[in-house]
Amino acid sequence: MTKFSDKDVLLEIRDLKIEGYSDETWVPIIKGVDLTLHRGEVMGLIGESGAGKSTIGAAAMGYARDGTRISDGSIEFDGMELTTATESERRALRGSRIAYVAQSAAASFNPAHKIIDQHTEAPVHYRIQKRMEAQEDAMELYERLRLPNPQEIGFRYPHQVSGGQLQRAMTAMAMACRPDLIIFDEPTTALDVTTQIEVLAAIRDIVDQFNTAAIYITHDLAVVAQMADTIKVLLRGEEVEEAPTEQMLDNPQEDYTKSLWAVRSFQRPQKSRPTDGTLPVISVKNVDAAYTGGVKVLDDVSFDVYPGMTVAVVGESGSGKSTTARVITGLLPPSSGEVLFKGEPLPPRYQDRKRDQLRQAQMIYQMADTALNPKVRINEIIGRPAQFYSGLRGQALKQRVDELLDLIELEPAKFYNRYPPELSGGQKQRIGIARALAAEPDFIICDEVTSALDQLVAEGILKLLDRLQKELGLAYMFITHDLATVRSIADEVVVMQNGKVVEQGPKEEMFTPPHHPYTDLLLSSVPEMDPNWLTTLLEERGVDNIGDAADV
Amino acid sequence: MSIFVIGYYAALIAASCLAAYYKKHGAFMLLFSLTLVSFIIGIIGGVPALRAVTTFAGALALAAGTSYAFKEFLILISKPALAKELRTAPLTASFGMFVIFTYAIAAIFAPWIAPHGESEVISSAFAPPDENMLLGADQLGRDIFSRIIYGARNSVGLALVATLLAFFMGAFAGLMAAVKGGWFDQLMGRLADVIMSIPSLIFALLMLSIFGTNLGVIVIVVAVIYSPRVFRLTRAVAGNIVVMDYIEAAKLRGEGDWYLIRREILPNSTAPLVAEFGLEFCFVFLLIAGLSFLGLGIQPPTADWGSMVRENATLISFGDITPLIPAAAIALLTVAVNFVVDWMLFRSSGLKEQ
Amino acid sequence: MGDLTSLVFKRLGLGLLTLLVVSILIFFAVELLPGDIAQAVLGQGATEETVNAMRQQLGLDRPAPVRYLDWLAGAVQGDFGVSLVSGDRVSSAISERFINTLFLAAYAAAIAVPISIVLGVVVALLRNTLFDRVANVLTLTSISSPEFFLGYILILYLSVKTGMFPALASLKSDMGFFELLHRTFLPALTLVLVVTAHMMRMTRAAIINLLASPYIEMARLKGTPPWKVIVRHALPNAWAPIINVVALNLAYLITGVVLVEVVFVYPGIGQLLVDAVAKRDFPIVQACCLIFAATFILLNLMADVGAILTNPRLRHPK
Repeated sequence: MTKFSDKDVLLEIRDLKIEGYSDETWVPIIKGVDLTLHRGEVMGLIGESGAGKSTIGAAAMGYARDGTRISDGSIEFDGMELTTATESERRALRGSRIAYVAQSAAASFNPAHKIIDQHTEAPVHYRIQKRMEAQEDAMELYERLRLPNPQEIGFRYPHQVSGGQLQRAMTAMAMACRPDLIIFDEPTTALDVTTQIEVLAAIRDIVDQFNTAAIYITHDLAVVAQMADTIKVLLRGEEVEEAPTEQMLDNPQEDYTKSLWAVRSFQRPQKSRPTDGTLPVISVKNVDAAYTGGVKVLDDVSFDVYPGMTVAVVGESGSGKSTTARVITGLLPPSSGEVLFKGEPLPPRYQDRKRDQLRQAQMIYQMADTALNPKVRINEIIGRPAQFYSGLRGQALKQRVDELLDLIELEPAKFYNRYPPELSGGQKQRIGIARALAAEPDFIICDEVTSALDQLVAEGILKLLDRLQKELGLAYMFITHDLATVRSIADEVVVMQNGKVVEQGPKEEMFTPPHHPYTDLLLSSVPEMDPNWLTTLLEERGVDNIGDAADV
Repeated sequence: MSIFVIGYYAALIAASCLAAYYKKHGAFMLLFSLTLVSFIIGIIGGVPALRAVTTFAGALALAAGTSYAFKEFLILISKPALAKELRTAPLTASFGMFVIFTYAIAAIFAPWIAPHGESEVISSAFAPPDENMLLGADQLGRDIFSRIIYGARNSVGLALVATLLAFFMGAFAGLMAAVKGGWFDQLMGRLADVIMSIPSLIFALLMLSIFGTNLGVIVIVVAVIYSPRVFRLTRAVAGNIVVMDYIEAAKLRGEGDWYLIRREILPNSTAPLVAEFGLEFCFVFLLIAGLSFLGLGIQPPTADWGSMVRENATLISFGDITPLIPAAAIALLTVAVNFVVDWMLFRSSGLKEQ
Repeated sequence: MGDLTSLVFKRLGLGLLTLLVVSILIFFAVELLPGDIAQAVLGQGATEETVNAMRQQLGLDRPAPVRYLDWLAGAVQGDFGVSLVSGDRVSSAISERFINTLFLAAYAAAIAVPISIVLGVVVALLRNTLFDRVANVLTLTSISSPEFFLGYILILYLSVKTGMFPALASLKSDMGFFELLHRTFLPALTLVLVVTAHMMRMTRAAIINLLASPYIEMARLKGTPPWKVIVRHALPNAWAPIINVVALNLAYLITGVVLVEVVFVYPGIGQLLVDAVAKRDFPIVQACCLIFAATFILLNLMADVGAILTNPRLRHPK
């Protein structure tokens, strides 16, 4: 707190309590949080999902979302108490002195109006600028945010502009009245890593230039390290600790914070391919694929997965990594090429595959919520594959389910009869793993299995998968966009872009230069915990190239 | 100034004061604005208008009381999980359940409840009510009250059978279309479009003019007309489920269509399907009532509410409300079902519009 | 713009195709009669000669597809053949009554549409207040009541007991416009009650649906006043659902009109249809069904085209 003097306090939240309405009662979401923000200060609010970050962000504007209410505490913005102010007094602050940048720009721009008309709405409403002046100003902001064609882009409709550009246009819109405070609510979470950089750089610059205070909400530590002066860590509606960024990174005090930092430590030694002539479990050979409509989504994709090894398939959204999984499982027959299982070609359509062929390749999904039927008991979810493939019945089946639950480190007696919605995210993912194991497969496709989980839980899942691989000799195809995960678990890496394999090889080779240019871009775009990372990267790449780099 | 008027205002003002004292702002506003409005009503309509207001408020209070008591009764006799759901039911929904319950009793025990036979002629045409006939006689001298009781059995029973048929056809086709996809899905979708592009009453009239008006024809025609609605809803609900990863997992396991429908899809679509069944029943019931009213539905001498309205309609021009009673019976049941469905839809949509 | 026009034309083509399929359905449904039309109309007691004579007269000796094409060609030009009962031309029986029916539907729509959209928006704004709950109960009650129930209640209270409006909507050719409105007020009001309730509920649902979108929250967080949130941010996106609501209910009016015409003995096409069904006068039944279905399809078509034309994503392609 050295950088900011106590006289310049802009926002002061004291003992804030917020409740949410669920199951016919009000339950506390925020349980007494304090927050002090000075002029020009950027505070990072971090925490796992359900920590109440967004709720606090909205409360800083005196706004309670539908189904929530501020039950206690005070929110003082520049000398004005928001909890007791009238709705119209609070409204007069929004857009003019406190602005908001939402997570999904695509959904938060009104599809019926041009971007610039939405931009000028607040300044014209507050009579800060005339319409034409506001438009001029918008174009200038667009230029500062390095949007292409700043004179013209505002006159497009939101659906005509890409996600990263839209997010920058929304930041420009928040800046329209030169507010004292901007709330950024996970502004880059929905973007790919290479697009994320440009938005981060743009946001940081503009906040610096106008000396605007900001609350930056995210769950990504590395991102917040680039943006914030101060970091506040939240857990289940309560503050864990708060400290200036560097201090927080170097010397976290609380156990919970330390555990967050420690997450990225898990790494296992790399294995190499067997040399005794063992055939690969799965071999993808020159596969092309297209969805109905003829757009080609896979172009000459080939790679091998050997027994007991983990192959990570990396790429951004739209690179074709999930489509490759659909081809292997037979959901999408390839238009040319084939998939071999232990040297034998698999029928392209899953309907034509034999029961035993289906058993050999199993899948674990990203969203455990949609991967487990909410209305089926755990014992049936896990038991069904065992019953279906091995014909187990009665006591034998029960024993097998218990065995599987033991294997995934869940207590059988406690979970046997429960339903998925009663479980936590990590437990659900473990059930998903158990269901795959129940088929006794040789090969498992893990589709972004950790990306929907909080970091500590994700770590647990990765360790479990590693243990199972050792015990059961499984081969994994690990689809992910998260390079930290790749570093910790992969033996080999396949990098994909626009449906093509750009580069592939053993992990250590892939992480040491020289790289393919795209691999390089991908690798360098992943935020690191160093607060100076973004600055250094921008210097290396050259500021003007950032926008272009993302369009590669 | 009659005692009634003095009592009327005294009661209203006392109630407003109580509400204000206990800080029930909504109730206070309601009661006090009613007091103010009553001045105007009293000046314009005099004592009879105030009496009408009192009767109306009394009826409302009675209905609310009955609903509340019935709800508590249901909560006490049902299992804990169900009781928890029932606790969330608004008064309208419990009123609906009460009415449905009453109709069910009337329909099942009709022969024991009704004082006279369904088509038994016991007096002269349009005889006024006496101690033997609660509501008087109809155009042939049959007891109207007895016929209304029997009507519960005939009208509701027929609608229920038609709804069940429509529901099974539509739901089965919808589930199959969602699971199978491809040309079967396309074909069923187009078929539903075509049937739904003819107004339902018109379609029914066309079919009945061709096949005649016996009960079997009515049931089948009505079921065919309304099954596309069920099909569309089921297809949409199941369509949202088949894209789930757990369905993909089951398909990749090699499970058959029937397993998918029975074990994976149906358990997740019961709530919207039950609500749709209620809505569907309302549509079918109103359509059949309309047909009967036009003389093309259930044929005499079977007692049926729609035809009873038609047969006794002439009484209206003499200011007699008797013909309205069977019509009111139709409306009441439909309202009741709609109230319950409204609550179920609100619950299942998870729509908490705070 | 090429995208948009082709979408509209596609939809128009689909509408035409549906109409064609429906016409086939209506025509060939009659072919499903046990025996044939002549047998069905004349009944069991008719002699072989009379039945044969009727067959000759109707041209039943020709194959069905040929008769269908004939019928369709006639229908396109407004000629639906000859009534089996009276022997008059169907088109002359229908034309005047069809105008009467359209008048009644338009009368009801002119009252119902503005009221229900305004009320629907108001109820959406006041959602979960007492007013909203009362409106919910009232509209549910109204849509649950059969049209003849509402109709007879209105007759009882507004005609028999108070004598404000005539109970029977008989028309005379020399009536003035206001007398016409007065005479047809009760049937129109009955339709208004049913349709308004429907439309209000659907408008409310459409708006509430929109109010949950992130861009509405964004507008609120920009400090936009509530009325402006509705007018500037919700309404431009609500046109498609609202147009749909209106079209759907106008289409519903067509069905409702049949029962209401019977209750008020109104000389419209619905009344004619019901009589024809009772007398098994198939040419009239077919003609009425085709007209009702065509209106129904046309309204749905207009709704879809309207939704396409007001969609900003389609109006401004990438």
